[in-house]
Amino acid sequence: MADFSSINVGDVLPSKSLSVDQDLINEYAQICGDYNTLHVDVEAMKDHPLFGGTIAHGTINVEPVLQAICDVQGTQWPVAGTTVDLQFRAPVKPGMTISSSLTVKEKLDDGLLCDMQINDQDGKPCVKGTVKIVAP
Amino acid sequence: MIEQNFNTDLITNFGPDKMLPDLAFAEMEPGWDCGGGTYKITKEEVEKFAKLMGDPNTGEKTVPVGMIYIYGLRICWDRKVFIDQAVRAGDKITFYNPAKIGDTVTTKLSISDKKEVTKEKDGKVKVTKFLYINMESLNQDGDKITDILMSFMLPKTMK
Repeated sequence: MADFSSINVGDVLPSKSLSVDQDLINEYAQICGDYNTLHVDVEAMKDHPLFGGTIAHGTINVEPVLQAICDVQGTQWPVAGTTVDLQFRAPVKPGMTISSSLTVKEKLDDGLLCDMQINDQDGKPCVKGTVKIVAP
Repeated sequence: MIEQNFNTDLITNFGPDKMLPDLAFAEMEPGWDCGGGTYKITKEEVEKFAKLMGDPNTGEKTVPVGMIYIYGLRICWDRKVFIDQAVRAGDKITFYNPAKIGDTVTTKLSISDKKEVTKEKDGKVKVTKFLYINMESLNQDGDKITDILMSFMLPKTMK
């Protein structure tokens, strides 16, 4: 998907999903070296007053939209000038499946401005923001 | 807790002895150097990451896009950019040149901005402090890969 001429305001762009479990969080920690208790210490987090268990690294939550941008552009790496402006809204916990949602808000001279959400399996947003997808 | 197998040979760190937790909010001025580090991108780590995230890009031309965070996260911890009890509020990511297997990525961390937001509710004044850290990543040729502007809500105990 790289031809932006047929895309209109209001169109929903293809989505990407990720199923998050403790094994994925642990392996992510091994790759990035971030072993924060919040993410990897199941026993210590069991009685956490706010989360009641571990939560995924916030950067895992962003993964679906990053892959979705590349799919929309038909590239392996976002085109230079592409931006993602996001706010973390809710933690992602093991057992959740998160999906990206990109809705075209405006057509720009050089691409698309989209409303972005990353939602859990019940449609509750974990991440919200805007994405500028530069045309390839 | 899991056994930690992160390959520390992939990274180096640099920067001033004084780190963010040593500063009061008043001392956190834009431009302040938080230091940084380097991360060597290997085929092994790229393949592990692509498999984990289900990314079909296994690194032939560029690394999987989600790796933009991988080369900076440990450096942020080592440079104490993630202040205890601070809440990561959001990121603004700007993409430039792709990262590739074999690249040595240099990540530079600095204070971009700060602000205090005051709200009044039921006669009580609540002040929330925000800190913005820029994570700039460049390859070994000095070409910029990404800028990630991270925003943090600082703990109420922050002086």
